[in-house]
Amino acid sequence: MARFFFDSGEHDVVIKDQIGIECAGLEEVRRVGFEGLIDLTRDALAEVDGQQVFVEVRNENGDRILRLSISLQIKLMR
Amino acid sequence: MSPTSSSDVLIRKLLSISDVRQTDIDVLKSIPIQEKDFLANYDLVREGDRPVSSFVVLDGLLGSTKHTGDGKRQITSFFVAGDIPDLHGLHLSVMDCNFSTLTPARMGFIRHDALRAICEQHPRIATAFWRSTLIDAAIYREWVTNVGRREAYTRMAHILCELIFRLRSVGRIQDHVADLPITQAALGDALGLSTVHVNRMLQELRRRGLIATTGSRVHVLDWLGLTHAGDFDTTYLHQRNPAV
Repeated sequence: MARFFFDSGEHDVVIKDQIGIECAGLEEVRRVGFEGLIDLTRDALAEVDGQQVFVEVRNENGDRILRLSISLQIKLMR
Repeated sequence: MSPTSSSDVLIRKLLSISDVRQTDIDVLKSIPIQEKDFLANYDLVREGDRPVSSFVVLDGLLGSTKHTGDGKRQITSFFVAGDIPDLHGLHLSVMDCNFSTLTPARMGFIRHDALRAICEQHPRIATAFWRSTLIDAAIYREWVTNVGRREAYTRMAHILCELIFRLRSVGRIQDHVADLPITQAALGDALGLSTVHVNRMLQELRRRGLIATTGSRVHVLDWLGLTHAGDFDTTYLHQRNPAV
């Protein structure tokens, strides 16, 4: 088990994870990050075309190892 | 600060929610209570059990939990010192949820036959117990609202307000500083949130200057601000002296 830090944000506003989460490996980091992204999307995604929310994962050395993001497109069809 | 006996813990709680009198207190003091210590994450009672006793929380934090068919856990309520989480087991013989310790905890077990005898002879005590289970139900209603309809940030603030208010009302904390050695995963299970989002919400509360945390210690820096952030109104806790 190692500790990973899941920073999350929208646009340039990033909230740094100062607590971290213990994960058994990259597979778990990815799953945990994805669950976080779902909550973040529900919470922070506004009705703004092009808005992106993301979760970025650091390991204990501070290296960025994974980024999950989702962005919103709103297009007027006529 | 720790109360002298397990019946004192129970009496303090009942005094905070009902009008038990000295004669009732003497009776409550005579109830045989068997104390037992537990590690964190221990299931005291499981769904389907048929307990012959109920327990009062003497120390530590407990959660009522349910599991979905695919194994996800929802914590449906917290219980603190003085609470009698499975008091309904006195009348509903088969348990419909689990009660698990969330921190190391001490419980005091009271046999159902002893509880029944006391309730039959002392209606004010029976009323106090009834009130206790009614308040538990009010807390469950609040939690459904919290998990179902409040935003994650409000949800987190609310649960912290509730815990601190409840710990204060039974004299476990004096101010707005509480040692809450609950895991982030357990907080997530109580809030219906991922662990990542739990961390984000705690960070957000810190960033806005409402709380400070050191290890498992939560220090509320701005109680009024936290109650506003948490949409927290104490009515559902039905305290006799809502002094907080």
